[in-house]
Amino acid sequence: MEDKKDIMEKAADVLKNEKIPPGPSQELVNETLARLAETSEHPETIQLGSRIRFRERLRAIHHLYKVAAAVILLLVGGYAVGRLSAPRPPDLKELQAVLVPAIREELLDEINENLQSSYASLTDSLDRKYQQDLNRVGMQIMAASNTVTNERLAELAESFNAYQTQERQWFTNVLERMESNRLQDSAVLSNALVTVAQQTKEEMERTKQDIVQLLPYTQPVGSTPD
Amino acid sequence: MQVIDWNIIIKEHGPSVWKTAYRLLGNRADAADCFQETFVSALSFCRRQRVRNYSALLARLATARAIDQLRRRFRQAQSKTDFMDCAVEEYDNTGPYEQAERQELADRVRQSLSALTPQEAQVFCLRYLNDMSYREIAKQLGISTNSAGVLLHRARTRLRQSVEFSTQE
Repeated sequence: MEDKKDIMEKAADVLKNEKIPPGPSQELVNETLARLAETSEHPETIQLGSRIRFRERLRAIHHLYKVAAAVILLLVGGYAVGRLSAPRPPDLKELQAVLVPAIREELLDEINENLQSSYASLTDSLDRKYQQDLNRVGMQIMAASNTVTNERLAELAESFNAYQTQERQWFTNVLERMESNRLQDSAVLSNALVTVAQQTKEEMERTKQDIVQLLPYTQPVGSTPD
Repeated sequence: MQVIDWNIIIKEHGPSVWKTAYRLLGNRADAADCFQETFVSALSFCRRQRVRNYSALLARLATARAIDQLRRRFRQAQSKTDFMDCAVEEYDNTGPYEQAERQELADRVRQSLSALTPQEAQVFCLRYLNDMSYREIAKQLGISTNSAGVLLHRARTRLRQSVEFSTQE
């Protein structure tokens, strides 16, 4: 098996790897182009395919003759057999008496069926329509309520903002007043402190003078008793 | 209507068509005939329908024309040596024995290919010599991929038998 495979592959390889001279030559290319030009100038040579097709079609039609003849023969035979084996025409009144009630009943049944089916389809379509309308109205109501809610929310936000602004202003005023009071108080306090300092200084001076005046009346350190 | 510049197409695809033709026919004269017939067939094909892949189409047409020529050649039962190109042998660096063996095997394959049905031979050549995939071959030959596989299998089996038989002879 392996040997066979080898031969096969070797054969294919030999063909595939065969040394091929460089080509096509310019002469061959020119000849080919000339032949192509010549062929394209004579379209009848190209129409071969369509001629073949026409011939094939003719051949096919020729074959069809036999089939057509067989079919015609079959039809004629069938018609003749049918005609010969057909029952005699029935009595019309009898036929009418049999057929009318049956047709009426069938018609009634059909009408009933049609009515039922149309009723069912009408109910379905009405249901669908009702649901669609309901959905549409619901959506409209939702949209309107959304709009109103948005408006109210905007108003609320505005009033809230105004209130906040007022409160902030009041708070600022209070802070300003407190600051001015603080400044006033600190000024008063500093004035008082200055006054206290001056008075203290004056008192200190006076005390110093009193001490100086009283100094001669004091005993020396060495005359103190043992 | 497609406007085709055959000059460009021959310039672009001519070498591969030449290779395909020469590889299968083994001599310049037949390869040149096959080359011309391939492009004439391509022209008539282009008139019938739009071509999207010139490379694949030309490979298929070249293979088909070459196989037709091979069949004609072996039907006429001419000598194998008549178709050898001495000029080509000069390029080969292998020894004379190997060279003769290779040449003999190549001729045997050519003869065996001419004994296959045209479609089998085409499928074999497109697969093994032009390295086309099953899908491409099926597309080019207008058959299903499975059919291409079946044809290739048959071609391989028959070729193997034929090559083996001629080797035993």
